[in-house]
Amino acid sequence: MIDLDTLLPDIATGDADAFGRFVAGAESRLRDSLGSFAAVIDVEAVVQECLLRVWQVAPRVVPDGRANALLRFTIRVARNLAVSETRRRRIDPETTIRLERATLDDACEPEQPDPLLREVIARCREKLPDKPAQALTARLDGPWRADVEIAETLGMRTNTFLQNFTRARRLLAECLGKYGIDLAKELA
Amino acid sequence: MTDDEKAALIEQAASAHRGVATDGSIRWAPAWWDLDEDGRVAAAALAKELRKLEAAMDPDGLSTTARLVLSRIRGG
Repeated sequence: MIDLDTLLPDIATGDADAFGRFVAGAESRLRDSLGSFAAVIDVEAVVQECLLRVWQVAPRVVPDGRANALLRFTIRVARNLAVSETRRRRIDPETTIRLERATLDDACEPEQPDPLLREVIARCREKLPDKPAQALTARLDGPWRADVEIAETLGMRTNTFLQNFTRARRLLAECLGKYGIDLAKELA
Repeated sequence: MTDDEKAALIEQAASAHRGVATDGSIRWAPAWWDLDEDGRVAAAALAKELRKLEAAMDPDGLSTTARLVLSRIRGG
C-alpha cells in the first residue's frame, strides 16, 4: 500500500509540489468520504476548502505509527467541515448525524496512478470531434475560469459550450468502453 | 425547470471552478444552489467521474481541483 506520509516532511517545509503529490493520491478518497453529504453540501467546494486548511496545518500533523495519518486527518477535517456546513444551513440535526455516520472512516487507501487508463484516454481524446475537443481542453486548461468565461473565449454561448463538453465526456466514456474500460466500475 | 436546464446546471456544478469569498473561503457554485437534491447528488457523482478523468489525463496525476488548490496555495 502507498503511504502518503512519506511526503509529510517535505509538505511540512512548505513544498507545494509535495502537497500536490499528496492531493493526487488523496483526492478520490477524500471525495468519497463526503459522498453521503452530497444532497446537502457542495462537495467540490468543501473538498477544496478542506485541502487548503490541511495545507495550513499539515506541518503540525504527527504520524501515529499507522500508514496515511495525513490522509486520515484530511478525511476528519472534511467531515467536520461538512457537519459545520449542515449546521450553518440549519439542516435537521438528525439528518446530519445520519450523514456523518454514513461517511467512510476506513477509506484511507490512496489512489494509485493507472498508466493504462491514461494511455487509453489519450487515444480516445484524439478521436473527439473539434468542438467537443475544444470544450474539453478549455475546461482542463482553465479551471480558474467560470464556464461563461470559457465559452466566451471559444466564441460559444454558455449552453453550447456545456453541450459540447457533455458530448466530449460521453464520447470519451463510449470510446473507453470499446477498450473494455467501464468508467463506472473504475470509479467504484 | 426543463431536463435540459437541469442537465446544464449539473454540468456547471460538476466543474471544479469555484469563486473565493472576501474572507478567503471557497464559494459554493451558483448552479448548485439552483439544483434539487437529486441534481446535487448527480453533480457530485459527475464531479467524481470528471476529476478521475482529469487526473488520468494530467502528467502529474492532478485533477482540476488539485490544480486549483495548488494555484491558490501558490498565491494564484
